Amino acid sequence: MSGAPREWRGRAIVRGRASGPALPSRTAFSFLGDADIRSGAVVGEMSDLRGQSVTGKVLIVPATRGSAGAWRFLYQLKQHNTHPVAIVTDDLPDPSVVQGAILSEVPIVSGMAKQLAAEVAAGAMLEVDGDEGTVRLL
Amino acid sequence: MELSDHDRALLDGRDGPVPRQAMEALIQLGEAFDAPDMVDIGYAHVHAGMAMYLGDVELMEDLAGKGAQMRVPVSTNIANADMGNWQDTHAPEGLARLQQRAEQAHKAMGSANCFTCTPYWAGHWPTWNMHIASIESGVTIFANSVLGAKSNRDGFFAVYAGITGRYPRFGLHLDSKRKATHRAVVEAKPEGTTDFTALGYAIGAEVTNGIPWIGGLAARPDLDELDALGVGMATSGGVAMFILPGVTPPYTEDSEAAPENLPSLTIRDADVRRIYDEFCTGAAEDFDIVHLGCPHASFEEMKHYAALLDGRKVRDGIELWVTTNRHVRQMAADAGLLGPILAAGAKVIADTCPISCHFARTCSPDPTLGVVPPQLRTIVVDSAKQARYVRDMIHCPTLLTSTERAVESAVSGRFVPRF
Repeated sequence: MSGAPREWRGRAIVRGRASGPALPSRTAFSFLGDADIRSGAVVGEMSDLRGQSVTGKVLIVPATRGSAGAWRFLYQLKQHNTHPVAIVTDDLPDPSVVQGAILSEVPIVSGMAKQLAAEVAAGAMLEVDGDEGTVRLL
Repeated sequence: MELSDHDRALLDGRDGPVPRQAMEALIQLGEAFDAPDMVDIGYAHVHAGMAMYLGDVELMEDLAGKGAQMRVPVSTNIANADMGNWQDTHAPEGLARLQQRAEQAHKAMGSANCFTCTPYWAGHWPTWNMHIASIESGVTIFANSVLGAKSNRDGFFAVYAGITGRYPRFGLHLDSKRKATHRAVVEAKPEGTTDFTALGYAIGAEVTNGIPWIGGLAARPDLDELDALGVGMATSGGVAMFILPGVTPPYTEDSEAAPENLPSLTIRDADVRRIYDEFCTGAAEDFDIVHLGCPHASFEEMKHYAALLDGRKVRDGIELWVTTNRHVRQMAADAGLLGPILAAGAKVIADTCPISCHFARTCSPDPTLGVVPPQLRTIVVDSAKQARYVRDMIHCPTLLTSTERAVESAVSGRFVPRF
């Protein structure tokens, strides 16, 4: 992939750094209902990730779907050790998702999900830097 | 983000590790949403610490153990078991004991322990122009739309607002965001709180995250109906505020109408009826539980239930649950209202409700608690909010009807539909 950008710059939302394989999606994600707490498997019928696991992944989604309870489910994924290690979005995520991510120490960068989903393959190793607002291909 | 001397002092650890942690988190949240500064919080309705969620009670114990104290008046949200009488709901004792640990943690932090989704009926009544934080979406919409306080739909960070007395100025803390986005014309003629939950549910489904300007209601809804209207909207959509002229401060009845160019929707009786149809999925003679009190019943609603049940008897094999908060239960006891309710064979349950108790299948509690959600056939409910979450969290059919007909259903053993 010579010539492809190896670093993308977006907006830092939740601090911290984490790396893992890319899990790109083109559908909005709801933490209340789309992921099974116990397994990390995506079970939501509206998600194109249905059947895959968010555990240990860099979850790349255009947006989060609204629910005031999202923070609790993201925190439950963390408690069950089934959480994504980082989240990348296009739109600003819901305040509840941001609260859950701060509580769970899951970095979030926004403003680049579509570009990233187009330019990296599923499973490519990424490092997300929630302090700088960058994603790097490892 | 501009910080006050107070904010900076907390950030520097003047008041210990928890206020510092809370301030750091609030700053991060504020920066994510471009908040220019923080506002003073006058009241917070906060997370209980929930025994059905792994490690969740421990979150509150961690704060209390580090010496956290609430800086502003704080009430606690609904919990996963009746901490004084879990036997009535057949909850495992281990779950109730774990839930009681959250009660102790909050007590140590100075929270007013009401464990309810309707803290206003327990006396927590924030007023016009007060910035507040609330974890419960029903409290948020009641505060914004009826009381004139200012609140976002919040999550765990309402606890941080309680501990610091501060919150980043974004969302509905900005006057510029407290403007109608839709005009909702109500042609329907709602009667009773269940109709108001269904009316709200129909509006919320259309408006999603917007702020509806509501016109067309024939009379000013009473407080229970306003509560029901709000929770309906907050359940089907992400609505955090409605504007009902004559009710919502500072709009008077003769306020100028909503701006002409707003998207408009009309809610007719058929639209309200459609919500009942959506949540009548169970068989009419095959229900195990009839539930009243979503959101948690007010004192006035307890009076209504007592009158409906006076001299009646709940049919064998059916449980009639009345859920309210512990303070309203005490008020009802003092007023002699529990007698007729209990004599009819109904249960009066505090701190929790069907969707918040060990019935939920979407939770993954500590396996050692021995929580096994029971196999339920159908729950009869008198609230569109309860119906929605019975479906989504308990995965059980529902039968939605009015309060009066729900009581008739419990007595006769045969479901009495609203329509």
